[in-house]
Amino acid sequence: MADYAMEDNQNSAPGTLPAAQAAKLGDPRRANDAQSTTKRLQTELMQLMTSDTPGISAFPSSDGNLQSWTATIDGPDDTPYAKLTFKLTFAFPSNYPFAPPTVMFKTPIYHPNVDMAGRICLDILKDKWTAAYNIQTVLLSLQSLLGEPNNASPLNGEAATLWDSDMDRFKQKVADRHVDIEDE
Amino acid sequence: MEDQHNNVFELAEQRRLAQEYDAHLEGPMVGEKKSSHAITEEYARADPVYIAKTQSLPQTYSHYRPILGDGNCGWRAIAFAYFEKLLQLSDAGQFELEIARLVSLDNYIETVGGQDPSYFMDMTEETIELLKDLLALLDNPQVARNTLLERFNDNGRAPSIIYHMRLLAVSWLRGHAEEYQGFLDGSIEDYCTRDLMAVNAEIDHMGMTLLIDIFIKPVGLSVEIVYLDRSEGTEVNTHIYRPIDQSGVSQIGPMIYILYRPGHYDLLYKERSSYFVPHPAATMASNVQVNRATSFSRQHDIQQTQPTMENFSNVDIEFFSSIPGFCVPPPSNHGFPTEFPGFQQAYDPSPVSTSVSPDPSMVCTNSSSSSLSIATTFTPQHSSSLSAAMMSPQHSNHSSHSPFSTIQLPIHTLNSAQPQPLQAPLSSHHSPQHGDVASPPPTNSTFRPSKYEWEAIADWQEGPVIFQTSTFKNSHYNTAHYNNPNFQPEEWSPDCEEAFDSSGRKKST
Repeated sequence: MADYAMEDNQNSAPGTLPAAQAAKLGDPRRANDAQSTTKRLQTELMQLMTSDTPGISAFPSSDGNLQSWTATIDGPDDTPYAKLTFKLTFAFPSNYPFAPPTVMFKTPIYHPNVDMAGRICLDILKDKWTAAYNIQTVLLSLQSLLGEPNNASPLNGEAATLWDSDMDRFKQKVADRHVDIEDE
Repeated sequence: MEDQHNNVFELAEQRRLAQEYDAHLEGPMVGEKKSSHAITEEYARADPVYIAKTQSLPQTYSHYRPILGDGNCGWRAIAFAYFEKLLQLSDAGQFELEIARLVSLDNYIETVGGQDPSYFMDMTEETIELLKDLLALLDNPQVARNTLLERFNDNGRAPSIIYHMRLLAVSWLRGHAEEYQGFLDGSIEDYCTRDLMAVNAEIDHMGMTLLIDIFIKPVGLSVEIVYLDRSEGTEVNTHIYRPIDQSGVSQIGPMIYILYRPGHYDLLYKERSSYFVPHPAATMASNVQVNRATSFSRQHDIQQTQPTMENFSNVDIEFFSSIPGFCVPPPSNHGFPTEFPGFQQAYDPSPVSTSVSPDPSMVCTNSSSSSLSIATTFTPQHSSSLSAAMMSPQHSNHSSHSPFSTIQLPIHTLNSAQPQPLQAPLSSHHSPQHGDVASPPPTNSTFRPSKYEWEAIADWQEGPVIFQTSTFKNSHYNTAHYNNPNFQPEEWSPDCEEAFDSSGRKKST
């Protein structure tokens, strides 16, 4: 609590609060951040456990840290991903839900909007994020992304091209890339 | 060629300002209130339109409060102003009503807005909790104000309140889809997710209208948006949102002022400057005026007024002491004629009633306008009965004895007895010695000629006269300071005095 008194306030521009004061105003932020985010994530966990949507699941990581989750989605039928299961990780920022979670595929996946490291290009996880989205809606969006890639802005250009031109080779690439990973 | 060159320069300048502007994401989410002259200062090197507009701005809006431009500023400005205005009204009953209203709006958000209560309740609770906290602190306004400011700068809690605003706007839009569909390019759903609910999507005109309709108008508050942009003119344009009462008549409630600069919102305030705190002696002087005003209004049966002497002695201190700080009404006296239709019909078109015209240039040429500007300026802030009462003497005065002189008389006599600080700006355009005011001044009248009168006196190129403290005068912000980039030494101009003698003042003798 006392450390803000030591802050240098000589560099504060006229018109902004002195550093000490600004720090004071922002001081409770860390505790409260965690508090409201934790509350929200507990609510989400409750919702997921009670609703039981088929094809998706999510649970906090085993280390007890509520800001890091593991999730799975089943590949939808009638897509190249049918009968495959994908693991994902969620990392929630301290101001969640006012900023999107960072979502990555842990299971290697061959998809136009996912790169080799598992990073995902999906607008609702970036500038289209709203605080009304939640883990469940994100997982459902990703599930539908599997069947309907956005080939206009691909992270994997080859996959985008093959999806449009040669679906058989695309399916082969998906199968080659897929590796079931074990729980850590 | 010259024009082209200027345009290029202007564009570059604008771009530069825009870039600096975006880069400025430091500082609190809601800042401390400060003098609007800071805005003038900020634009001192911008293009002439901004310079002109920002120079006249502080004459009308004395203070402003910077809001962090992180994509939430418009939402945040409205939300903060809502709480601040409720605190200012300090009505416990109203707080109770608001808490009840917001709780019931949760239902609206769920059923009409289509949101999941298990997720949004945490957010709306934050707003309701702040109302409760402020209600508990009503007896201690200073602590309450600090609590409000701290809460809005609390990164863990403020975003919930702001998101509550977004949810309200979304719900209102979904509940009034037919009304608004025509204003949207795409579908309502797209607009809701892309422009209202995306966490950092700045409020647009539609969002502002939606939020004011659902959140602000039902409280009986009005919102005036002050547009500071590059449109033609030397004054800012304004737009007022007014609440509608049960009978469908639009009302002017307590006013929230919002400064809009393209892409950004801040808060504005019309307040007395601290250095115009009246001295008891000045109060006595203004009481003399008030007594005469009442008698005039009785004589002419102004129906709207039920003034009693007690009422006036309660309010007149604030009222009269405010005159100098508020000498310019906004260019458009919003709804003024419709608010007081009786006046224009009841009296012959005298010089006074022509100056009711919202056109400021007309008012400027009218020597009797100084007292009128008092009434118009206060229309939004005070009860109509008060404004009406204060106007009555001018309208009822058809003789050659200008109403202006009744205002001027005490100043004049006081001035001859004792040189007053207020004479300083008349001989040179520099700020008077406000240090004097701190020490108890002898029979200090707080009256000053209005800006209109001054403009008639001297055709100033420098823009509005700036009243400032001695601290300001000795700082480099003063153009008379050698460190000021626009350094301009103080000069005595004989023209000023001459023009001054030949107008306004002379009538009072």
